[in-house]
Amino acid sequence: MKEIKLKVNGIDYILNIDEDIRLIDLLRDKLRLTGTKEGCGEGECGACTVIMDGVSVNSCLVMAFQADGSNILTIEGLEEEGKLHPIQKAFIEEGAIQCGYCTPGMIMSVKALLDKQPYPSREEIRKGISGNLCRCTGYNKIVDATEMAIKYIKEEGV
Amino acid sequence: MELQEVYKGENVNEIIRVLSIYKNEAKIIAGGTDIIIDLRNEKISPKVLIDISNTRELSYIKEEGEFIEIGGATTFTQLIENPLIQENLQGLKKACSLVGSPQIRNKGTIGGNIANGSSAADSIPPLICLNSTITLVSTRGKREVYLEDLYTDMNKTIREDELLTNIRFKKPKPEQILTFSKLGLRKALAISRMSISTLLEINKKGVFKAIKIASGSLGKYPMRELEVEEFLLEKSPDEKTIYKAAKILQESMGKRLKGRSTLPYKREAVIGVFREAVEEGVNWSCERNKIKG
Repeated sequence: MKEIKLKVNGIDYILNIDEDIRLIDLLRDKLRLTGTKEGCGEGECGACTVIMDGVSVNSCLVMAFQADGSNILTIEGLEEEGKLHPIQKAFIEEGAIQCGYCTPGMIMSVKALLDKQPYPSREEIRKGISGNLCRCTGYNKIVDATEMAIKYIKEEGV
Repeated sequence: MELQEVYKGENVNEIIRVLSIYKNEAKIIAGGTDIIIDLRNEKISPKVLIDISNTRELSYIKEEGEFIEIGGATTFTQLIENPLIQENLQGLKKACSLVGSPQIRNKGTIGGNIANGSSAADSIPPLICLNSTITLVSTRGKREVYLEDLYTDMNKTIREDELLTNIRFKKPKPEQILTFSKLGLRKALAISRMSISTLLEINKKGVFKAIKIASGSLGKYPMRELEVEEFLLEKSPDEKTIYKAAKILQESMGKRLKGRSTLPYKREAVIGVFREAVEEGVNWSCERNKIKG
């Protein structure tokens, strides 16, 4: 066992973990944050995407002990006081969700993109989500939703 | 996984000390984007993992006189966004920006790409064209190895107690250009089927004054294409010459990949990938010569 300290969705944790677990295992099994999904387990599908110290990462390709001292944001950390984040709201309204399995990872990639680049072009949005697979929507709705989210964020000044 | 100990390497001295104790029972983990898959598939089963992804000493890009030095644990994203890796180093930037996906580039490191030593590692051909050296450090001391020799010379491979601390290359002259071209099966998350990098210079007489070519996935490891370089040197970069050069490359990679099922496909594709890499450089050079008169 190894003791690590990290911040997840604004909460500080001190945890004893097995050496061989990954960040996704820590999030889902230890902290019960099951919004983050495991798809391929190889960094191909992006379903497990979370934001680690400001950048998007595949949580299946990070060992939990590597996250010692880091600041993690998962899909559960986006809503504030029960209010959906503008990206979440836009995804629902635009119909960018079908089966929903890719959605948490997709939204975290969009969040990472917009944090860095608040007004991306459609092409830049596509590049931003190029590490996330969606087998339902065909991506157009996701790009549309991202554009709507940009508008909401601007209006709300989030 | 029979992992027993994990360390977060605070600094190089501590990392090499742990390596010297555990030797082949320890593995370095940087971005983790390859090694975690190998761990889970039980392709490797180290007793100890040493994380260097947060080791500050290993994450930097700096200019030192005529040289650029990159810390081993520098991520692809950090490289792409760095103002030193621009303009005539655009080939290195392009190679790094075609690695995996945004998530992989945020974690994957240049040192990991080299140490892992895949033939398809995107960053290696451009670094070979730049005649890069890598620094390997252990408690026994420090040595510099040419990246080009790392995969070919048994004496120069990374030893079990060594840490790759940095990559260093001389900045190309302003009249030289580094290019990169890759064939993947899709736009994102594509492992290179093949890649070509060139470093070239067309002089006022309109001939190749300098030309270096390195390939990925056209052999067991990334390598220089010396026969093609030799052919092109001092020649004019017209379409016919470039095509002839591509045929020479086709011939030598054909010998190396003999018997592989992918060869018939690669034989055809290599012509296009090679031309793209060379023409990108030729166009840049001719444009520059026009402007500079």
